[in-house]
Formats: sequence, C-alpha cells, structure tokens
Amino acid sequence: MRPLDEKETTVVFEKIFKFVGNNLKNIVENPSNEGPESEPSRYCFRLQKNRVYYVSESLVKRATNISRKNLMSLGTCIGKYTHAGSFHLTIMSLNLLAANAKHKVWLKPTSEMSFLYGNHVLKGGLGRITDSIVPGDGVVVFSMSDVPLGFGIAAKSTQDCRKLDPNGIVVLHQGDIGEYLRDEDELF
Amino acid sequence: MGKSRRKQKVIPPPQLPPDEDIEFSDEDVKYFKNNKDGAKFIAGIDTGAINRQCGGEVKTVEDKYLEERLKKRPREENEKRSEMEVDPVDVLPIKNLDGSLHYRRATKKSKFAEVDIDEAEVDVPEDEHILNKSQRREKAKKSKKEAKKHEKKLPEEILEDEEEEETPRAAVLAEVKEELSSEERFESKKNRLAELGTELLADPEANIKFLKEMLDLTRDENTKIVKLGLLSLLAVFGDIIPGYRIRLPTDKELEMKVSKEVKKTRFYESTLLKAYEAYLKKLVILERQSEYNQVTTRCMCTLLDAVPHFNYRDSLLSFVVEKISSPDEVIRRLCCHTIRSLFSNEEKHGGELTVEAVRLIAEHVKSYNCQLHPNSIEVFMSIRFDEDLGKRNNEDKNLKKSKKNNKKSIQEEQNQVQENERKKSKQEMMSKIKDEVNADYKRETYEPDAMERRKMQTATLSRVFETYFRILKNTMYSISESSEADTTSNPGAFGYHPLLAPCLDGLAKFTQQLDLDYIGDLMNYLKKLASSSSVSTNLKQKNSKLLTVSERLRCCLVAFKVMRSNLNALNVDLQDFFVQLYNLILEYRPGRDSGIVLAESLKIMLCDDRHQDMQKAAAFVKRLATFALCFGCAESMSALVTLKILLQRNVKCRNLLENDAGGGSVSGSISKYQPYATDPNLSGAFATVLWELSLLTKHYHPAISTLAATVSNMNTSQNQTFLSAVTPQQAFADYSLEKESFEPKKESWKLNVKRKRERSEDAKNVAEIDMVELNNKLKESFTIFRGKKEEERVRMDLQLKKKQSNNVVKKKLKNLKSKKKI
Repeated sequence: MRPLDEKETTVVFEKIFKFVGNNLKNIVENPSNEGPESEPSRYCFRLQKNRVYYVSESLVKRATNISRKNLMSLGTCIGKYTHAGSFHLTIMSLNLLAANAKHKVWLKPTSEMSFLYGNHVLKGGLGRITDSIVPGDGVVVFSMSDVPLGFGIAAKSTQDCRKLDPNGIVVLHQGDIGEYLRDEDELF
Repeated sequence: MGKSRRKQKVIPPPQLPPDEDIEFSDEDVKYFKNNKDGAKFIAGIDTGAINRQCGGEVKTVEDKYLEERLKKRPREENEKRSEMEVDPVDVLPIKNLDGSLHYRRATKKSKFAEVDIDEAEVDVPEDEHILNKSQRREKAKKSKKEAKKHEKKLPEEILEDEEEEETPRAAVLAEVKEELSSEERFESKKNRLAELGTELLADPEANIKFLKEMLDLTRDENTKIVKLGLLSLLAVFGDIIPGYRIRLPTDKELEMKVSKEVKKTRFYESTLLKAYEAYLKKLVILERQSEYNQVTTRCMCTLLDAVPHFNYRDSLLSFVVEKISSPDEVIRRLCCHTIRSLFSNEEKHGGELTVEAVRLIAEHVKSYNCQLHPNSIEVFMSIRFDEDLGKRNNEDKNLKKSKKNNKKSIQEEQNQVQENERKKSKQEMMSKIKDEVNADYKRETYEPDAMERRKMQTATLSRVFETYFRILKNTMYSISESSEADTTSNPGAFGYHPLLAPCLDGLAKFTQQLDLDYIGDLMNYLKKLASSSSVSTNLKQKNSKLLTVSERLRCCLVAFKVMRSNLNALNVDLQDFFVQLYNLILEYRPGRDSGIVLAESLKIMLCDDRHQDMQKAAAFVKRLATFALCFGCAESMSALVTLKILLQRNVKCRNLLENDAGGGSVSGSISKYQPYATDPNLSGAFATVLWELSLLTKHYHPAISTLAATVSNMNTSQNQTFLSAVTPQQAFADYSLEKESFEPKKESWKLNVKRKRERSEDAKNVAEIDMVELNNKLKESFTIFRGKKEEERVRMDLQLKKKQSNNVVKKKLKNLKSKKKI
C-alpha cells in the first residue's frame, strides 16, 4: 500500500472529475468519523496491488500493521489500473460518485433491467436527464426512485437527446450494480 | 361674441366725487384727531398724477364711445353679411385684393357661435369631438374677416392716439388696445382654422388648396394657434387621406394624354401629398422646441396609428421609435401605445410596418447600449406570431387540385355519356370557373401572400430575439466588468439593467418560437445571470450593478418556462437553477424583493415538477421551513404550501417529520445537516428534523398555525387524501399585507379546513381574537424565539470553551510529547 504519485493522482482525479465536477473538493475534504479520535480525520487515496482505494486516514494508520502481501483490501475500492496502464473506475465507486454527481440520468422502470445486464442507456429508456450534459461527461444512472444503478459516459448532449430517435444511445455503459452478481469472482 | 364684448369693457379709473360734496362723518374726524400719524400719507400724495389719471372725465367717455363704435361696426357689417350669405346661389369664391379667397356660404350655424365660443376658449382641447371642432371652425370664419378689417383700422387709431398726446394715459390705452387686438386676432385665426377645416372635410377634392393656407397658419408666433393648427390639420389629414398609397406619376405618364378626371385626381393627390410632406416637416421642426413636444408627438402618433399605409410612414415610424424611451411619461406612453396598436392591427399595413418597427427598435437598443426605458421593449409583447401561416394555404391548394381532378373526370364522363347536354354542362363549367376565379381574386386581394407574411414574420422574430440576446449579453458584460474592476459608475436614467425584466418576460412568452439550436446558448446565459451575484457575496461592499434577487429569480423562472415549452417530452432536470433557487431563498428580503416572483418560482420550479430528486426535495423542505419562520404571513404561507406539496409527492421526505434525526441509509454521505450549504444535494437535510413546524403551529396567524399542524400530522394520519387546491402564488396573494385584514380568508382553505372540524373551530375562535389575547400570543412566540436564540448562544459558548480546552489539552500533550522526544 502506498500513496499515489503525482501522475497517478492526476489520472484518478481527472477521471472522477468527469463525474462530479467541482464536487471533487467535497470528496477530498470529506471529514471521516471513523476511529476513536474525537477530531474527524480526512479521507485519502491509496494504491494497493493495482487498485485504488478511498480510505480514511485512521484506517490507513491501522492498515500499516498488515504487510502489503497479505493486505487484500481496505476502505472503498474505487478503481483499478489495467495491464495496459490506464485507470478504470469500478462499480464500487458508485456510492461516492452518486452522492456528488453532477450529471444524472434517471431510467424508466422498464429499462432498468436492460441497463443492469450491461447494456447502454437508450433514448427510449430515459426517464429524466439533467441539462447541460456535454458528450464525454461522466453520468451517473439512477432509477426513478433515486437508487443509483451505475455510471457511464454521455454519448449525446442534452439538447441532442431531443432530436434522437428512441433507439439512439444516450449513455455508454461503464459500470452497473449488476456486476456484483455477474463478475463476482473478478471484483475483488 | 359675448365673451369678447365682456373683455372689451375697460374698467375706467374710479370717478372722484366733486370736492364740495364730500362730507366727513364725525367718527372719521374724531379718529384722525386722535391718530394724527394715520393721516400722514395724505401729505405725501401726488395730486398731480391723480388728476392726470382721473381728471379728463369727458375724454374717457369719448374714448369709450369711440371704442364701442369701432367694435360695433364690424359686427354690424358682419351681421349684414351673414344675411347676405344666405343666398345659396352665390357659391363661387371671390378673390380679395391680397389674394385670399373668400367663400360665401350659408351661415345657419351662427347660432352655434354664441354657444360654442366659450368652449373654443379652452386651450388645445384634446379629445373634443370633431363635430365641436367643425362648429368652431365655421363660426370662426366670420371673425377672421372681421379681424382683417380691424387690423387695418386699429393701427391708424393707435397712431392717431400717439400723435394726439404722449401722456402715459395714451400709452396705457394703446397697450390695452393692442392686447385686445391680439386677442381678437387669436380668436379670428382660430376661427379661420376651423373654417378651413370644415371646408376641407366637406369637399376635399375641391378645396384641397386650403391645406396650404392651414399650413401657413401654423407659422404663427402664438403657440396656441400653432398647436391648434397642428391639431386641426391632424384631424383633416386623418379624414381625407385615402385608403391607398399615393404614387406620383412619372414624367412619362405626365406626357401621356389623360382625361380630365384623371388630371383632377392627379392634381388632388399631388397637392395632398405635398401638403402632407410639408406638415410632417413642420412637425419635425417644431418637435425640437420644448413647448411643442407633446403636441407634435401626439400628432405623429395619431397619424401613424390612423394611416399606417400612407406615404412617409417610415419617417413617421422612425420618429416615433426615437421617442419611445423619452423621459417624458406622456410622450413615452403615446409612442408605446401607437407601436402596440401597430403590432396588434397588422392588417392595416400588411405587416410591413411591424418588421420595420422591430428593426428600428432593435437598432435603437443597440445604439443606446441597452440603456432605455423598459417600456421600449415591453411593446414586443403585443406582437403576434401565427404558427399556422402558410400551412392552411398549402392544404387549400391540395384540396383544389383534387377538386379539379374530380371535375375533369366528371366532365369526361359527362362527355362520353351525354353528348346532348354538352352545351349545358359547358355553361355550367364556365360559371363555375368564373366563380372560382372570383373567389381566388378576392382572397388574393384581401390577404397578402402567406409566404410573404411568413417571411416577414421570420424577419420580425429574428430581430426580436436578436434584441433579447443583445440585452442578455449586455447585462452579462456589465456584470463581469463590474466584478472585475470595482468601478462605481453612475447608473443610467433607468437604473442598472432596465431592459432585463421585460426582456425576460418576452423570452418566456416567445419561447415557443425560439429555434432549438439557440436554447443551449440561452440556457447558458440564464445560468450565468442567475448565478451572477453568488461570487460577490464574499465581498462586503455590495455591488449595485449586479442583479437583484428578483431579477435572478426571474432568470430561473424563464429557464424553466423555456424548458417546459420546448423540451417537454424529455423531462430535463435543471439542476443549476435549483441550486440558484435554493440559495436565493436565503437572500430574499421581504421589502426589497418581489414576493410575487418568489411565489411564482416556487410554484413553477417546485410544485409543477412531477418528479423530484429525493435529496433535493428534502433540502428544499428544510430550507422552506426555516424560511417560513422568518418572514411575514404571505411569504411563510406560500413557503408552507410548497413544503406541503413537496412532502406529499416525496414519501421518503416525510422522514423529516419523525422525531429522531438521521435518515439512516437514505441520508447519504453527509452525516450532519449543513444549513449554509449552497448545493441542495450536499446539505444533508435528512440528518435533521423539521422542528420549525412545531414552532409554526404556535404562529399568531391562524391559517399558518393550522397548516403547520396539518403538515406535521401528515405522517401519522395515513388515509388522508390531500387535495391541495392552492398554489403558493394564490397563497401569497391571499395573505399579502395589502389584503390582510386579520380575518383569515377561508375560501381557499375551506377544503382543507373542513376535513378537520376541530381545526376549523379553532381557526374560527382565533378569528375573533381580541387584542389581549393577541398580545399574549405574540409575547409567547417572542419568548420562544428568544429562548431558542439564547439556547444557541449558550451552545456556541460551550462549543468554544470545549474547543479551547481541547486545544489546551492538545498543546499540553504536544508539550509532553516533545519533552519525551527530548
């Protein structure tokens, strides 16, 4: 386990910034109430075996007791480095993203299942969408009852969505909570 | 004439009784004996002067007689003439030596003269009937002539007088005479004007030359005459201007031989046009003088309104647009009204003037850098855009084609089957075709081409939106400038962003017509405008150039309206504007900002949206409850209504009504409520409870306390079907201070109140409150508030102490550690 170096930090932050915008500040400065300290500590990012974790500082202190080889996981895993060296967000980061999301898409109940099987979000399944989405923005996908379902990348801007035909892709799938079942083995 | 006679009576100096006749009463003698000082002024009297003034009694009488005669003579002559004029045969005009034409006519109207002269005296009556005017004109004719003779004689008299004696008495007399003569001249000119006007109206073709004379009359020095002249010319032009545009014949056409009638018409038209042009020029020249300002503007506006199809309309229009934001209230209203009526009566000018007016206004706005009176943009609101233009026409054509085909086929059949009736059918066909042609012709002549109109509409629309966008841009620019460099430049005559409010209103109205491609830009602008002052809240000095809260609220409102009308199918969530509203609720101040706008935005943004983000809804519920505590009845009522609607829609938000704080898993990542958070999603509203409601149940206003109680019981009483018939706007209107008479209006609440009988009884009891009770209640709520405040203060103190002690402990620990290390 080690802190991210500068290059890694920028990569991770850029990725998260796509989803949360200026709320990134909230993620970094979020006070944690873990541990016995009366003063709330902060959260920080740690790299462990190609995976990036979002951990409270008090937990980091305690985790130092365990050797790198034996440490399986700590805090919240938010993404991993692939063999090619690029950084991917994983579905476990969903809670973090959903709480601070800037761009949101709500799905109609009928199209929820399709998304949870790993398909893209189509215009027909769109229940609601925030305005001022630009293609390439990170979008968090919610059900109509505000349960976060996953996240993806916007393929069309909000304005363009209007003209789109019902089968056009609005959000490109990146992760959904169906993965907890589908990829149970690979996740950890 | 009665009045003038009255005026001509000169008040003679008081006649002194002969000295011998004076007898002093005993009392007077006694008085002066006692108060010798009182008689001192007599000693200093200038007896000579008095004698000069009053001495020549005989002469004054003579003078008076002379005057009387002078005045009588023309009148007698006049009377004679009027008798003469009854002769109807004598219609031809007589040319006087000085070249003026003299028309003889029957003067049966002379009986009006006595009656109406008083009315004529009233200066520049605006809304008088034309009838009245014409009457005046008629009887005015005589006195004009009268005056002319008078003028000739009077100077001689004056000269004689001056020669006779150069004493001040003569001077006084001359002055009086001059005054009289000028008055008479005024009278006569007025009458002349009236006369000419009637003539013109009676037979414009024959008397068209009089226009020139009338124009000449407006060159007078007397402002009243000029004004009257302008107004009467206005009336004349309004009546005689034809329903078409005059095109002067070209040289080629002049060369051609034409019939007499055509010549006559040409002469008439060209004279009319020349006179009209001269009149307009006169108006433009006079307009620069301040005393004619209103009259000329009125003339121009009326002309433009009455004859928008006629020549020179463009110059008229440009003049009126120029005046549209004049600082003079009357002129501005006139111009705005005219342009509005131009917009709403497009059939008068075929829509061309609309395009032109909008273009001119747009340029006006551009050249003045958006520093105009709001009225100048508000006129756009009366433009109408017909979306179905052209569509109908196309359908018609299609129909016609199919009809024709049908006819042809029918005809062929007929030909084949019945050759005998061929002629009959041919005749029928002919008549049918004629009818069709006629119908087509009619439609074409009465209705301008749909395509043409469509084109014009597009041009108008693009200009309107161009103006709106210019205003938005200008506002943005001024804001950014002011936030960068803190220059305290003087505001324009109309405040800082005078055009923003009407611009936003217009955008909301015409948003249906806006091209979809522009909506993105528009929303960006609005977003920036709505969030414009959030940066400067850090700065202590308030930058007055920034938008007010109501203006920013309006921006949010417009954004919602635009979205609602254009992207209805998509259900877009305007998060940024919600953030703005969330913050603006805190910045609202009852006196300064418009509560109506706030209520409207609550209604449109929160109540009308079908689906709300849960976190956001909770945050708004909490903030609205806080808001309801702080402000007057109307504001808190509208806030409470919104709150209730939000709670009804979002079942999960009712967790806020529970006693223990913390929504568990729902509350999200924020574990503590942050009242000052700027983003509703990050406020952590689920971590708190709506304690405000229990305070509000003790509100002094019965309606609010009732509503608060209903809302706080919402969770426990499950099978309530809440019918919320009221909107925040309505609530605000019902309870705003002006209407407030402390008798709660039950109309809008009946539905809710009836459901709970006890509540209604409560409310009734409270309605008949007496002052003592009221005082008690006020005291109670005051103590509650104070208690709360004190509690908070104590808590703050405690926290501070804790922190301090913590710090002390830490320091001690650190010291210990460092000591250890050492």
